[in-house]
Amino acid sequence: MGKAIRKGWGPLLLLCAGLLILTLFFAWGALAWPCSPTQPSGDSLEAPGPAHWLGTDDLGIDIYAQLSRGFFSSMGLGLACGALTALIGGGLGMLAGYKGGGVQAAVDLAVQVFLAVPQLPVLIVLGAFWGQDRRLVIGLIAAFSWAPVAKQTAAKTRSAAHRTYVQAARSWGANSWYILKNHLAADVLPVVLVGALAVVGKAILQESALAYLGLSDPTAKSWGLMINRASRFAGIYFTDYWKWWLAAPVAALMLTILFTRLLARWLEQRLLEGSV
Amino acid sequence: MKIASRIGAAVLALCMTASLAAGCSAAPDTSAAAGAAHPDGWVETLRLEGGTDWGAPNPFQCQSRGPGTAKMELVYASLLEKDETGDIGWLAESWTVDGKDYTFTLRQGAAFQDGEPLTTDDAAFTIDYYNAHPPVSNPLAAGTDACILESYTVVDERTITLTVKAPDGDTLTSLGSFEILPRHIWESVDDPYTYTGEGWLTGSGAYACTVYDGPTGSYEFTAVDDFCAGTPAAGRIQFVPVSDALLAFENGEIDITSVPADLLDTYRADESLGFVEKANDMGYKLLINFEECPEFLDIALRQAVYAALDRQAVVDKVFRGAGSVGSAGYVPRSSLYYSPDCVEYPYDPDAARAALADKGLSVTLLAADSGSDVAIAELIQIDLEAAGVEVTVESYDSATRDSMVNAGDYQFALVGNGGWGNNPPTYLRTIFSDISKNQGGNPHSMGPIGYENAAITALAEGQRTETDFEARKAMFQQLQVLISQEIPLIVIANQSSYSMYRKDYYDGWMKTYAYQQAEQNRLSYMLR
Repeated sequence: MGKAIRKGWGPLLLLCAGLLILTLFFAWGALAWPCSPTQPSGDSLEAPGPAHWLGTDDLGIDIYAQLSRGFFSSMGLGLACGALTALIGGGLGMLAGYKGGGVQAAVDLAVQVFLAVPQLPVLIVLGAFWGQDRRLVIGLIAAFSWAPVAKQTAAKTRSAAHRTYVQAARSWGANSWYILKNHLAADVLPVVLVGALAVVGKAILQESALAYLGLSDPTAKSWGLMINRASRFAGIYFTDYWKWWLAAPVAALMLTILFTRLLARWLEQRLLEGSV
Repeated sequence: MKIASRIGAAVLALCMTASLAAGCSAAPDTSAAAGAAHPDGWVETLRLEGGTDWGAPNPFQCQSRGPGTAKMELVYASLLEKDETGDIGWLAESWTVDGKDYTFTLRQGAAFQDGEPLTTDDAAFTIDYYNAHPPVSNPLAAGTDACILESYTVVDERTITLTVKAPDGDTLTSLGSFEILPRHIWESVDDPYTYTGEGWLTGSGAYACTVYDGPTGSYEFTAVDDFCAGTPAAGRIQFVPVSDALLAFENGEIDITSVPADLLDTYRADESLGFVEKANDMGYKLLINFEECPEFLDIALRQAVYAALDRQAVVDKVFRGAGSVGSAGYVPRSSLYYSPDCVEYPYDPDAARAALADKGLSVTLLAADSGSDVAIAELIQIDLEAAGVEVTVESYDSATRDSMVNAGDYQFALVGNGGWGNNPPTYLRTIFSDISKNQGGNPHSMGPIGYENAAITALAEGQRTETDFEARKAMFQQLQVLISQEIPLIVIANQSSYSMYRKDYYDGWMKTYAYQQAEQNRLSYMLR
């Protein structure tokens, strides 16, 4: 362990441990905790106690159970967005970087367009039309996240494609799929992985923002919606209720995004920039 | 399409902001600018919570809900107004009733805010114009089959006789409540619902609109000098966007706000604060669109819905105890007109499950996206799903929800609104009569679609012609019993609320005999 830390892997271990602890904490809440995230199980706005570790909301629904449901809901959405982004951004980026010419120009244009469009306002407008469908929220967030990944992947692919061993493979008759799979993937995949991981945290935040603005399933147990409901409760800051109803989802959101962002940053430095 | 129109309207409103500001800034002569000496009780500025676009404050473009029409009524004036005990003169200084003829005499000096005199010619024009273009708030039912007016006669510049088809207990109030338009502005306007040109916010009320910014929900009304029916109590009334109304009140950013039920006792101890109680004035109902859900024409299923709902939980959890379970006869239990003979539907989940579980029912519940509405919708969803009905909740902003309800674009809809404490409860006619319901777009006219009941309609319409108070009250009570038996809609609960204000700053807030929302009553903003 000490040796690993000395070699610069310490932050990674800490971040992974943090994410693991969060996951286990919420896994307990989702799988083993006796209270339902959707049904009232206590009095309205019960303070934290043995029966409800993080108290209850105005309807008497357990906050810990809701947070746990929200964690996997948010993580699931984030990972789905990340995977979709990796697929679209990585695929188009590799295609553009390897093929060059007209394909590269077309992908570059699409990348520039999507990078230029302000994301949140467009998401709000589109969310107003379709936002209450979760699959569409994933699609929308991924649609606005693939461009940076594609841009970086294309650059990396271009650079790798000019290496002598790739040229040699091509001159010996290797087809594109063989070259991409055996010679370029090892160079390009870290770029795609880091880009996709960065999208996970961003997607969680954007989904929470959309939910906070009311552009999601109004009864879903998402963190954004929990924050929305609590902050709209009249006079909440003059009562003690904010300490568990509002602070809990805010803290969960902050910790999760902090860990995923730091992890993405560490990987970026380690894998792409060659330093820690 | 609804959302498209909403977004379109928002974009349009953004584009128009500059022109609106320009239009509003052409303010009439106002007391705030005049700097004259002011009588006791006058304040320079009254600030209230804004942040919601309740529409432009004119009779055609305001939102149909109380906060929308109240702002319009500051700018525009009608013949009569209501005080604590009855109807009083407003633009009219006197009136007489002779059979079907109601003759009103305008006050000397009645004028519009651009200085043009207001005459009976304007009143007559307004009636004709409303018949062609019904306003949002339509007490005459102009332009509909239910229009109460038969004809009018302009006697002279200050006297007009309005002849009604059939006088009833509400006729005088209805005739006195339509807002008079300036003929010289509107006679050349073909489409008042989109018009934003010269004079589009020029009325004859005590306040002129000097700022309207829809996207931010900001309004400013400035007192008009020499208003003929009284003296404005404030130089300006501002509706300012705030992120948290209670924090804003504490910080002195607004002068009146609602008190959360959890904090009522705390604030009650502060003697510098005054309170306006609105007992059971807010209410929530569950509308069923029977055209979309014909299964619920079976009264056993409607009874089962009542049995499925733990309505006391709504009172305890959402209203924080400030309210009561709704009477199935619709009129709140605290009303003078309430009938104790209404059928009660206690919470009985077992009976509900027995009636509903094997039906395979699935409904979409439309709700507004505000905190209380979503919380109530969630409780309804929990209860109905426990009884075996699959429920999907869809939420939209209040204006979109209202337009969907009025268009019949729903299966189940949760509608909340104020004014349930109105006396007399004339809304029973506009919600339940097959002749009068679903006209005008107001929440007090949102009734069941695809459901007809001749007995209810006969009583709801019949009470209008009864002029004896006790007899009319008995008819209202009989009507409630019938409603509670037939269940055209599900009454959820009534909410009581309090507004608090600083007495030492301004103490003029009042409730009328018919309406408890002090912030929406014109006389709250007049020196009295």
